[in-house]
Amino acid sequence: MDVFNSFYGLIPVTIAQSLIVSFVVLGVMLPFRILNFPDLTSEGAFPLGGCVCGTLITAGANPFLACFVALLCGFAAGCTTAFIHLRFRINTLLAGILVMTMLYSINLRIMGRTNIPLFTYDTVFTILAGPSANFPWTKILIVGLLVALVLGAMLYFFMSEKGTAMRAVGASPDMAEAQGIDVGTATIIGVGVASALSATGGSIMVQTQGFADVNMGFGILINGLAALIIGEAITGRQTILRQVLAPVVGSLVYYQLISFCLTLGLAPADLKFATGAFVLLMLALPNLRRSGGGVQIREKIRE
Amino acid sequence: MTTDMLSVKGGTKIFYRGTLDERRALDGLDVALKPGDFCIVIGSNGAGKSSFLNAVSGKLPLDSGQITIDGRDVTRLNAHRRAQFIARVFQDPMIGTAPTMTIGENMLLAELRGKPRSFSYGLTAARRAKYSEQLAELNLGLEKRLDMQVGLLSGGQRQSLSLVMAVSTRPKLLLLDEHTAALDPRTAKLVMDTTVRAVEALQLTTLMVTHNMEHAIKYGNRIIMMDAGKVLVEIGQEEKNGITVADLVERFHTKSDAIALQGG
Repeated sequence: MDVFNSFYGLIPVTIAQSLIVSFVVLGVMLPFRILNFPDLTSEGAFPLGGCVCGTLITAGANPFLACFVALLCGFAAGCTTAFIHLRFRINTLLAGILVMTMLYSINLRIMGRTNIPLFTYDTVFTILAGPSANFPWTKILIVGLLVALVLGAMLYFFMSEKGTAMRAVGASPDMAEAQGIDVGTATIIGVGVASALSATGGSIMVQTQGFADVNMGFGILINGLAALIIGEAITGRQTILRQVLAPVVGSLVYYQLISFCLTLGLAPADLKFATGAFVLLMLALPNLRRSGGGVQIREKIRE
Repeated sequence: MTTDMLSVKGGTKIFYRGTLDERRALDGLDVALKPGDFCIVIGSNGAGKSSFLNAVSGKLPLDSGQITIDGRDVTRLNAHRRAQFIARVFQDPMIGTAPTMTIGENMLLAELRGKPRSFSYGLTAARRAKYSEQLAELNLGLEKRLDMQVGLLSGGQRQSLSLVMAVSTRPKLLLLDEHTAALDPRTAKLVMDTTVRAVEALQLTTLMVTHNMEHAIKYGNRIIMMDAGKVLVEIGQEEKNGITVADLVERFHTKSDAIALQGG
């Protein structure tokens, strides 16, 4: 059948894309699940990483250096969100929206225009793979290795003495403080690292798609959340290994689903609605099941 | 003369200062504990017991006054910095442990309380063996369940775990904030017995807040009665022997009535 043929044909491209976005999903998971700090900064950090990387590459910088600077900028954005929340006691979601909104202007200022094409420039992929840089499997290999590296590092960190302390901050802030853990610093660093991951995803994305665009982050957070929820449904969350694997597994599955829906004839215009409806359903499901028990709405949001 | 393990001088904390709701949580509180003292803190609701403990732990910064632990001025130290001297068991079993983490991880967090934490692997085999040994003393079987999530334990088990986590590091000061109040009587007794064993074996300087007058008489070597953010009555070791619940209640009421009559 035609539909399935075109879906199969798209699988490698979709895998490459989902591996890149899995950085963002990791950046969504870390504050949400590890730090209990619902955070929206990713939505701004992802294009920030793309814009910084794109601008630096067109200015003649080494693509690896461009990615690293993008990562640092993302880190700064995340730290800002956490700082706004901790210092001024502003709700984490609002703090994230503030930073995200301000980042839009910053991204425009960095690029000087809304879109930078990168087709003619060297990227991380052309440096590593030469002429085969544009094959999907090349991208899958390179990004896949990077994702594996990040997963390994995260897994090791969260089982280290420092990482255990960071997880305690999300699990029980009072307990963490009583055990001598600096809750504020751990939160700032954790949210910073999360946004750094999202920005790294953005910097890789612009190099594979061949352009940087100021609007490229629109809706990425909900995509990331949807992927995270799917991933957690598959891997579970009982151990730190499962929790860290969930974003990548979820991203891989989610983008294949999207691709499948699109080949089946879902209009791209309806995609965001469908994704939003899906996330809403998944979040609402536990509450729908125990209906009749009275309204017992307890948001899991501190402050 | 030995230095006091804990000394609070003129501890004052006022909420909503300068408004109609102004409330003196601590009002020139003076307390000194010698090393090894097991001091029971009693008083009615709002007397300042929790504020006292929170002020000592650093959770509630004082408006004025001074706090020293083992001779070191900690008045300006944050709660997480004071944790190197202080271990605490909360009233709510849910607060004192990290529910989504395993028993072993919780023990690890406690072992490194107030110490530098490194990037090296946390739950090493040596540590697991040590934790098993420490938990075995509880006789709850927790030593075989190091990889179990703490959230799956009962309130009593969690509180017992909290206690082991608190005392295993031999803190200079142990704070017990009505730590058996949320438990059923049988479990409460179990946790209390474990507490006393640990405090005596390790000679820990301890502050225990309780509403239970029987506990106040039975345990510890000193009693502090608080009212309106101050120490109302102090009962030392000699006086404490042979005192009854009725005596305690009577002394408490006579004193606070006297103050009420003075218009204080």
